[in-house]
Amino acid sequence: MDPLAAIKVTFFQECEEQLAELETGLLSMEGGDQDPEIVNAVFRAVHSIKGGAGAFSLEDLVRFSHVFETALDRIRSGAIEADQDAIKLLLRSADVLADHVRAARDGGTVDVGRSQAMAEALAALAEGDGSAETEEDTGDGFGEFEFKPVAFDMGEITAEPAPTSTTFNVRFYPQAALYQKANESALLLRELTRLGDIEVELDASGLPMLAELNPEDAYLGWTIAVTGETVTEAAVREVFEWVDGDCYLDIVQAGAAAALTPASEMSVDAMGGEVDVLALIRAAQEAEISPSPAVAISAPEPAKAKEQALDAKAQATAREASPQTIRVDLERVDRLIDLVGELVINQAMLAQRVAECGLQRASSVAVGLDDLEHLTREIQDSVMAIRAQPVKSVFQRFPRLVREIAAMTGKEVRLIMDGENTEVDKTVIERLSDPLTHMIRNAIDHGLEAPEDRVAAGKPREGVVRLAALHRSGRIVIEISDDGRGINRSRVKQIAVDKGLIAPDANLSDEEIDNLIFMAGFSTAATVSDISGRGVGMDVVRRSIQSLGGRINISSRPGQGSTFTLSLPLTLAVLDGMVVTVAGQTLVAPLTAIIESLQPKAADVRSLGPNAQVIAIRDSHVPLIDIGRSLGYRTVTPPPTEGVALLVEGEGGARAALMVDAIQGQRQVVIKSLEANYRPVPGIAAATILGDGRVALILDIDAVMVPKPHGAAATTSGADAVRPTAASDLPLAMAG
Amino acid sequence: MTEPTHAQTGERMELISFRIGEQEFCVDIMSVREIRGWTPATPLPQSPGFVKGVINLRGAVLPIVDLAARMGLAMTEPSERHVIIVTRIGDQQVGLLVDAVCDIITIGGDAVQQTPDVACETVKTFVKGLLALEGRMISLISLEYVLPELRAEATGVELAA
Repeated sequence: MDPLAAIKVTFFQECEEQLAELETGLLSMEGGDQDPEIVNAVFRAVHSIKGGAGAFSLEDLVRFSHVFETALDRIRSGAIEADQDAIKLLLRSADVLADHVRAARDGGTVDVGRSQAMAEALAALAEGDGSAETEEDTGDGFGEFEFKPVAFDMGEITAEPAPTSTTFNVRFYPQAALYQKANESALLLRELTRLGDIEVELDASGLPMLAELNPEDAYLGWTIAVTGETVTEAAVREVFEWVDGDCYLDIVQAGAAAALTPASEMSVDAMGGEVDVLALIRAAQEAEISPSPAVAISAPEPAKAKEQALDAKAQATAREASPQTIRVDLERVDRLIDLVGELVINQAMLAQRVAECGLQRASSVAVGLDDLEHLTREIQDSVMAIRAQPVKSVFQRFPRLVREIAAMTGKEVRLIMDGENTEVDKTVIERLSDPLTHMIRNAIDHGLEAPEDRVAAGKPREGVVRLAALHRSGRIVIEISDDGRGINRSRVKQIAVDKGLIAPDANLSDEEIDNLIFMAGFSTAATVSDISGRGVGMDVVRRSIQSLGGRINISSRPGQGSTFTLSLPLTLAVLDGMVVTVAGQTLVAPLTAIIESLQPKAADVRSLGPNAQVIAIRDSHVPLIDIGRSLGYRTVTPPPTEGVALLVEGEGGARAALMVDAIQGQRQVVIKSLEANYRPVPGIAAATILGDGRVALILDIDAVMVPKPHGAAATTSGADAVRPTAASDLPLAMAG
Repeated sequence: MTEPTHAQTGERMELISFRIGEQEFCVDIMSVREIRGWTPATPLPQSPGFVKGVINLRGAVLPIVDLAARMGLAMTEPSERHVIIVTRIGDQQVGLLVDAVCDIITIGGDAVQQTPDVACETVKTFVKGLLALEGRMISLISLEYVLPELRAEATGVELAA
C-alpha cells in the first residue's frame, strides 16, 4: 500500500470516530445539554473531516462539510440558537455527512437530492439569524440579546410635555448565576445603546487579587447612564428582563441631569444617593486615576479566566471519557491471541507430561508448573480483554436508524441508550449489528403505536425505545424494550394456529405464546411492510443470536410494551464445552445447547419406523441421534444403554437426545476455525486443540439434529446440501 | 500463482523433491512452509477419502491431504516414517502426506520438459512438467490443481459469507 493510501485509510478510520463524536454531541445537545464544549466538539468533528477531505481532494465531502461547519460555527459563536428543530436538522445532516464519508471511502454515490436539500437547509439555518430567530428568543430565556428590537410606545412618550431627552441611571451588578445561564453583560450593554446614548462606568472595586479570583464568580458592576429622547424605564427594564433575579439592578431616572420631568415617584433620598454615586464617578473620571485603565485591562480577564477554566474542565472530562489508546492492526491482536492459546495448550501438555513422570505434587517442578498455569491464564484473560470493545460502536448506529424508521412510519420515537461502554469481544459486536437492527425495527414498526393511538391510550405521543447493555455473570445482556402496545397474544396464537405451527387446542402459557414469535415461518405483520417484513422474522434473529452462543427471551405486558433480553458470551474465542467420546474420537459439545445428560434405559428407547429411534424423557418423546453414525464414524449404532444421551435444544427450541459413548468432562476450549485452511464441515461448527495437543472437533448441534437421508453422508455434495448456510452462522472468531 | 511463470521465463528455480511409492515428485520450494513428521490426525466427518484429517500446527488447524490417494495411487497407511510437507496454497495452508522427502534441487526453468501425452486425467491435471535428473524422472506438481475441490468450495464460501 502506498503511503498516501495508508494515510487515507487512517483518515477514514478517524472519520468514523469523528462521525460518532458528532452524533454523540448532537444527541446530548438534543437532550438539552448546554455545555459549550459539546458544541465545540461537534464543530471540531466536522471541521476535522473537512480538513482531511480537503487534503485528499474529496470535493463533495468538502463542500457538504463546509456548509455544515458554517452552520455549526454560527451556533458555536452564539449567532444562531440551537433549538430542537435546528438540532434535528443537524442530526439529519450528520447522517448525510456519514453517507458522504462512506461514498468517498467506498466509491459509492450519495443521494444527491437529499444532500442538496440538506445543504440548503443548513445554509438557511446559518443565515437564519433574522426575524425568525428573534421570535424564538423572546420565547425562552437563553436567547441572544444582540439586535433585538425593543418595542415601546412612541405615542405615550410624545404625549409627555416634551422633555428633549431623558436620562436613566442604571446600576447593574451581575451575579455569578447570570453568567452561568450563558448571558453576557457586554451584550446587555450593547442592547442599551439602542435606546439612546450611553455612558458606561465600570466598577471594578469588587475585583479581588488574581490569586483569590474565582473564575466562576462575578465581580464587576456597571453604572450606565442612558440618555435618549424616547427612553422609558420600562424599555430599560425590558433589556434586563432575562437576567432579572440574577443581578442587582437599580434603574433611576436622573432628574437632575437634563429633564425636568416630574419625578413624583422618586424619593429625595434616592435622588441624593444617586447624585453621590455620580459625583464619585465623575471625580474618579476627572482625576483619571487608575480605575479606568486598570479596568480596561482587567475587565476581560474574568471572562477569559472563566473560559480557560471551562476549557480545562472540558479537557479534563474529555480525557476521562476517552482514555489513551493506540491503533493496532486486528490481525496482530489475533495472532497474539493464537499464540497465547498455544501457550495455554503447551502448558497443559507440559503439566500432563510432568504428571506422567510420577513427580510429587509438592515437588518444585509441579509447584513451578502451577505458577506457570496461573500466569498463562492471566495472560490469556488480558489478551482477550484487548479484543473487547464497548458496544458503543454498534449502538451508535441506532439513533440514525431510529430517526429514519420514525420518519418512515410517521411515529414519534425517542431512543434511550444505556451502558454503551459495556465491553464485549469485537467479533460479537460485529455480529450483533444485524439482529439488533432487526429488533429495533420491529420495536418501532410493531411495538410502538401511532402517535394518535398513543394519545388515545393515555400515553405520551412520543414512544420510547430503550437499548441497554450490561454485564451479568460472565455474559453480556442486552435489552431492547419499548413502551408500545405489547404482544397481542390472541392474535399471535391465532396466527400460529393458522400457519399450523401449533395445534388449535394447544394450551399455552402467556410466556409460551410470546415465544411463538421466534418460530420459523412466523411473522405477525398483517401486511408485509417495508421496514420489518423482509421475509425474515424473529426466528432469524433468534438463530443468529444462538449462533453466537446466546439466548433470547421476550417478556411483554399488554398495553405497556415488550422487552427482549439477549444474553451473549463475552467472547467467541472460547467456548464452554462438554468433552465427549464418540467412536474413539474426542468431540466437544457446546454447553449452552445442553439441557441435561442422562443414561438411557432400555425401556425408554423405542424404535420409530425403519431407522429412527426416540427416547422418552418425562412423558415427551425426542429423537435419539447417534452422533457416531450421523458423522459417519461408524455404521452400526451400539445399544443406547451403553452410552450417554445428551438432551440438547437447538434453534427454534427443538430438542433431541444425542448419543455419545462417554463424557470426559467439561472445559473451556479455544475455538479454532476449520475454514481458515479447509472448508466448513457439515455437522461440525469448529475445532479446538485439547491438552494433549490434538485437534478435537466442536459439534454443530443444530446441524446434527437435522434428519438426513442415509447414504447421502458419504458424498461431498450431499453432505453440503444438509446445511448450505453453515459457513455464515458459525461462530468462528479465531481464524488460525 | 507464480509457478508457471518460472518455467516459462526460464528463471532458475528451487524445488523440493519427495517420494510417493516408487515415483518421485517435486514442488516449488517457495510454496513449502515446513516439513514435519507424521502426527496422528483427527479425522473429519464427511470428507473425501484423500483428506486424512486435521492436525494442530502451532495453534492452527491444518488439513492433511494424502497426496498418493489424491493422485489416484494407493491410499497411504501413515506411520512415523511418513512426512508432512506444509504448503501454502493461496490463502490456505495444507499439509501433504508423502512417503519421504528426497532432495532440494536447483534447475533452470528450461529444464522442465513437457508432460508426455498419456491417457490419464490425473496426470494431466497434476503434473505440469517432467524433470530428468541423474537418470531419475521427477514430476513437477502443480499445487493449485492438487486441491481444486477444496479451493473452489472455499472460495464459494467466502463469497457466500
